[in-house]
Amino acid sequence: MSAQLAADDRAESIRMIRDSAAAVAPPGGDTKRIRALRQTLPGFDAAVWRQMGEFGWIGLRAPEALGGAGLGLAELGALAEELGGALAPEPLVAAGISTALLAAAGAKAELASLLAGETLVLTAWQERADTLAAPGTPDASRMFIPFAAGASAFLLPVREGAELALYWQPAGAGLSTEYTYDGGHFGTLQPAPARKLADDIGAVLEQALDDAALATSFYLLGGAERAFAMTLDYLKTRMQFGKVIGTFQALQHRAADLKMQLALFRASVEDAAAVVDAGASGAARQAAISRAKVRAAEGAMLITRQCVQLSGGIGYTDQYDVGLYLRKAMVLANQYGSAGLHRRRFMATAPEGEE
Amino acid sequence: MDAIRIPPPAELDALDDEHFRQVVRAFLHTHYPEELRNPPKRLHWSENKPWYFKLAEQGWLCPGWPKEFGGLGLSPSKIIILTEEYERYGVARCNDHGIVMLGPLVIKYGTPAQQQQFLPKILTGEHIWCQGYSEPNAGSDLAALRTEAVLDGDHYVVNGQKIWTTLAMDANWIFLLVRTDKTAKKQEGISFLLVDMNTPGITVRPIINLEYHDEFCETFFDNVRVPKENLVGQLNKGWDMAKALLSFERIFLGSPRQSGYALSRLKLLAERMGVYEDAVFQESYVRLRLEFEDLKALYETYVAKLKRGESLGPDVSMLKVIQTELFQKITDCMLEIAGENAGLLEPMEGNRNLNATGQFIQARPASIYGGSNEIQRNIISKNVLGMPG
Repeated sequence: MSAQLAADDRAESIRMIRDSAAAVAPPGGDTKRIRALRQTLPGFDAAVWRQMGEFGWIGLRAPEALGGAGLGLAELGALAEELGGALAPEPLVAAGISTALLAAAGAKAELASLLAGETLVLTAWQERADTLAAPGTPDASRMFIPFAAGASAFLLPVREGAELALYWQPAGAGLSTEYTYDGGHFGTLQPAPARKLADDIGAVLEQALDDAALATSFYLLGGAERAFAMTLDYLKTRMQFGKVIGTFQALQHRAADLKMQLALFRASVEDAAAVVDAGASGAARQAAISRAKVRAAEGAMLITRQCVQLSGGIGYTDQYDVGLYLRKAMVLANQYGSAGLHRRRFMATAPEGEE
Repeated sequence: MDAIRIPPPAELDALDDEHFRQVVRAFLHTHYPEELRNPPKRLHWSENKPWYFKLAEQGWLCPGWPKEFGGLGLSPSKIIILTEEYERYGVARCNDHGIVMLGPLVIKYGTPAQQQQFLPKILTGEHIWCQGYSEPNAGSDLAALRTEAVLDGDHYVVNGQKIWTTLAMDANWIFLLVRTDKTAKKQEGISFLLVDMNTPGITVRPIINLEYHDEFCETFFDNVRVPKENLVGQLNKGWDMAKALLSFERIFLGSPRQSGYALSRLKLLAERMGVYEDAVFQESYVRLRLEFEDLKALYETYVAKLKRGESLGPDVSMLKVIQTELFQKITDCMLEIAGENAGLLEPMEGNRNLNATGQFIQARPASIYGGSNEIQRNIISKNVLGMPG
């Protein structure tokens, strides 16, 4: 019975998080703000970022002793889903990696200003495309850093023997940026480690990247849900041949198929969050997250692609919002590991069923 | 496992879920015939009646019926556990139309006299029921059915033809949807009638299916006289009653067990064929495994709803479509890797576990029965998504 009560409390806290998200991510939202930020630097709104800090969102998963809320991935996922539905461009998921590292390093002051939304600390870990491995090569450029132009500082993992040390690198020099198809950007950073924060954060980083993969999956879910809802409205109102096109069975069955994909998508990512929150570790944790990310990458691409198709000519225009979701999916589907990478990892980590 | 005591039926619903699961496992382990596990074909009464009588003797035959009618009175969540364990153990379906369909309908809509007449005989195995719903021209459009029952004195006179009457040759009673008012809107002129199969004028003709198995029948009615007290519920309300009975059990059409079993057989076959490590096979296999895991996660969300006491909406149709289409994809893969063995009539090497063709053929009707997947997509688009027309 107490397990049921705990589950009820959990459901209630997730509901509250979803409600509070409406402040930044208005339901059925206006995309004017999102459109205005496209192909600008840093591509997000610093005031909204501070607001997210005030709401406690940046520290949602950080330990309470360090100023966080100490909540789980189910809560973060629900929030990311709401933000994804609204296409909010603020760097909540990317900053989550840094909060985990700063907490592990005991860097209280740096963590506090990040949690408040006063700064943006990003982790510059990636040395090539489509990887979850952070080799920490001392002089290798760090690539594909989202929101990099908005960073106040970077966290730099650097290999030192068997350990992966963590360095602080203030923003300023050595950064170049490229725009992405959704209107955001990636940064490439030349390493210039300034100050050592911790001797070995390898295991923490590995887990934080996985958590970011799962949070990204939720963000993609929110976008896919919203794109589908828009498309469904379109199918119910668009007239051709003297009829609402949603009366055509070919389109009804397409819509039914997408609804089923969404149901599997939600079940997959929520199940992975439950597995992580229940304390799974090692291969079981990796397998659950990889499964969710495969589903998210493939599901988000499938659904947004189909939504463009079902919207016809208007779907191919920049003025129509469905395309925003397709472009976001193009950028996020492969972040923190493509479907292919995660399929390989699933096979390597998931135990096969009984019998 | 053998140490677990099987409590009397009346105590089962009070057990906690995990204990209950262990009891079911122990019971199956002790009593279920090994040779009937995971049968490649639907069993006939002659094959599965020992198990039916074992369940009857134990008092476990009708888990969903209330205790006062001789059932176990189990909650939906316990019934799910029971079913999961039966599926896990590979327990064959018995001739269960009386247990699953007719019994609950008579309990809900029957008169006390009908309840006393029919329910005990299901519990003893004296009456084996089959279902007469579909007709040659009333399949997906079931409400178009034309078999008619015309009142003549104290009897209804039934004329017409039913089809897909599963295991009718094993049954001695049939429950029918019959047309009793030809002038009303098609759903509103249908009644629910119980017929003794030994009444003169009934002919049963088995249909051989793609499995070369006689699971289904055609059943013909030629001036069959049925006592009018065998009508259940109100005249012309049969459609509503049959529909109301589509209860939470619809979840079982989406149970991942069928796909899980097929997936485990796919692996055995791949190992036997020497392709398990092959990159092309692994590419297919990982996708199927991921689909299966996500189906399980979705299924669990519906189980959780039932455990919270919620009822299931029309969206449960999604589970059925996803499960059956995954089952088919797995068996497609089995057929492909089996090579020339995919053409064999009997399992290769006489090994039931390497039965690619059997699994493939069994997967065919899964997307047809219980409302074809095309009908399920209609339900999803209209009743879940609210699409027009």
